[in-house]
Amino acid sequence: MLQVKDSMAREVATLSPGDTAGEALALCRDRRIRHLPVLDGGSLVGIVSDRDLRSATPAFGDPDRAAALAEVRVGDVMAREVVTTGPDDPIDAAANTMRERRINCLPVLEGDRLVGIVTSSDVMESLVYLLGAHEPGSRMEVVVPDRPGTLAGVAGLIGELGINIVSVVTGPRQEEDPPTRVAIFRVDTINPSHAASVLEKADYTVLWPPRP
Amino acid sequence: MTGRAAIVHDTALESYGFGGEHPFNPLRLRLTLELCEDLGLLEDYPLTPSEPATEGDLTTVHNLTYVRMVQEAGRGAALLSDLRPYGIGTGDNPVFPDMHAASARVVGGVLEAGRLVMRGDAAHAMCISGGLHHALRSEASGFCVYNDAGVAIARLKEEHPGIRIAYVDTDAHHGDGVQWMFFEDPEVLTISIHESGRYLFPGTGGVHEKGSGEGKGYAVNVPLMPFTDDGSFIATFETVVPEALRHFGPDLILSQNGCDAHRLDPLTHLSATTRLYEHVPARVHDLAHELCEGRWVATGGGGYDIWRVVPRAWAALWASVSHQELPEKLPEDWLHRWGPESPVGLPRLMRDDPADYPAGPRVSEISDKNARTAEEVLEKVLPLIR
Repeated sequence: MLQVKDSMAREVATLSPGDTAGEALALCRDRRIRHLPVLDGGSLVGIVSDRDLRSATPAFGDPDRAAALAEVRVGDVMAREVVTTGPDDPIDAAANTMRERRINCLPVLEGDRLVGIVTSSDVMESLVYLLGAHEPGSRMEVVVPDRPGTLAGVAGLIGELGINIVSVVTGPRQEEDPPTRVAIFRVDTINPSHAASVLEKADYTVLWPPRP
Repeated sequence: MTGRAAIVHDTALESYGFGGEHPFNPLRLRLTLELCEDLGLLEDYPLTPSEPATEGDLTTVHNLTYVRMVQEAGRGAALLSDLRPYGIGTGDNPVFPDMHAASARVVGGVLEAGRLVMRGDAAHAMCISGGLHHALRSEASGFCVYNDAGVAIARLKEEHPGIRIAYVDTDAHHGDGVQWMFFEDPEVLTISIHESGRYLFPGTGGVHEKGSGEGKGYAVNVPLMPFTDDGSFIATFETVVPEALRHFGPDLILSQNGCDAHRLDPLTHLSATTRLYEHVPARVHDLAHELCEGRWVATGGGGYDIWRVVPRAWAALWASVSHQELPEKLPEDWLHRWGPESPVGLPRLMRDDPADYPAGPRVSEISDKNARTAEEVLEKVLPLIR
């Protein structure tokens, strides 16, 4: 789940520049997707979203709509400058690109070949997976002062108890001075309170589970 | 309401436990049964013994390789590194002598309770050793080696083809093992009300887990906020459980009555009192009479305040199963016998005094959120049951 290729959709619905807006919208509707890469002779030449298509055609109920849907071509509406990613790129880099460029989807290119597409919902899903419960476990939140060795210290104490750490993420705590970070562990035990008390004895602050 | 009740137990069932300081302590069974006896609740009810589950029983829901691993572990014949992939030999599920035999006995007890009820020998039956709801097909998990409810449901379905079984789990932890075993089966409705997996083991049990394939709609999950109290837990139960059971129309109800949602429980973060542990059995009892001629099997489950909570909660369960009044006070005999052994002061009354459990902060925020969750279940999941 850490690379784009783990999260991307591999079967990609595509359009040609000559397809009509009506065909493109029908494809969006049938496949329940919002972004369609445009290929010309096998190479990526643009991308179009259902929103682009709607704003280029008269609204539903307008008498001119049917004619416009048959006339407007994808090639006239699509964005020609396409931001892409690669299958081996880290998923967080793809997420960052989407955030910076304010877009929700990246076609995935291997060389010149379109091999997949990754959307913001795919990124959300991999985030949930990384933090989440794909195997039984408990959540622990521990404050880790922002200096070398603290995460290792916490992980070491948990490990000494024979508890397996399934996943870990760390992030800054807001409005703390001096700056600290909080580490969120998923551990493979039904009883994390024992580990919590061991950590507190070693002077770590445990935010979850709550202590009596 | 009438109907003979049975209690399935013998001392051999008290050998399921992990020893030492481990939180799962079979002493809680002894404390509960002696409390029932001293309260006079066992006078007309001799304990019904049971046979251990057979390999054939166990493999209705467990992988044979896993059963073999448990057998070898119990004989001390397996390497820890070979056991770990099966969830055995961990801090939660350490190896103990004869663990296969002890675990198979628990399954046999619940299976016997189910057979008594399905044969009509008893209207309701209880086996408090059962309720090991985390055990997975090929993995021990969360103190649970074999899944007694899973085996009992699968076996009873074989013995009575076409029956519909409803499983109602009010343990503080999600009933994941049982849910996954019947996730695609529309003849088994699993309902679990538990502390949200975001805050508590095992992490699953979101509203969106609602069964798959043919079984879509037949797994019902209601995750509760940490610090949920009696009022909100009961309101949530009332919103979801009667409606779900009436939609489904069970032939048998099997309830998992873990009592670890109590405020004093050291493993969870819910804030229930004994009020919940009278309410839930009473309602399940009513619903069993309303929907399936009283056929109801009750098991234990989690419960880690073994002195102050478990004996009272499960004595209340038995009083409900056996149509007896719950006395007000704990018997002096019991208090004298166990008081000196207990590391904590023992309560004098069977029911918690609400004054000892004042509302926590954010109580209305918590109950609002739980009510929204229950509504979501009502709208999105229950209509799928037919």
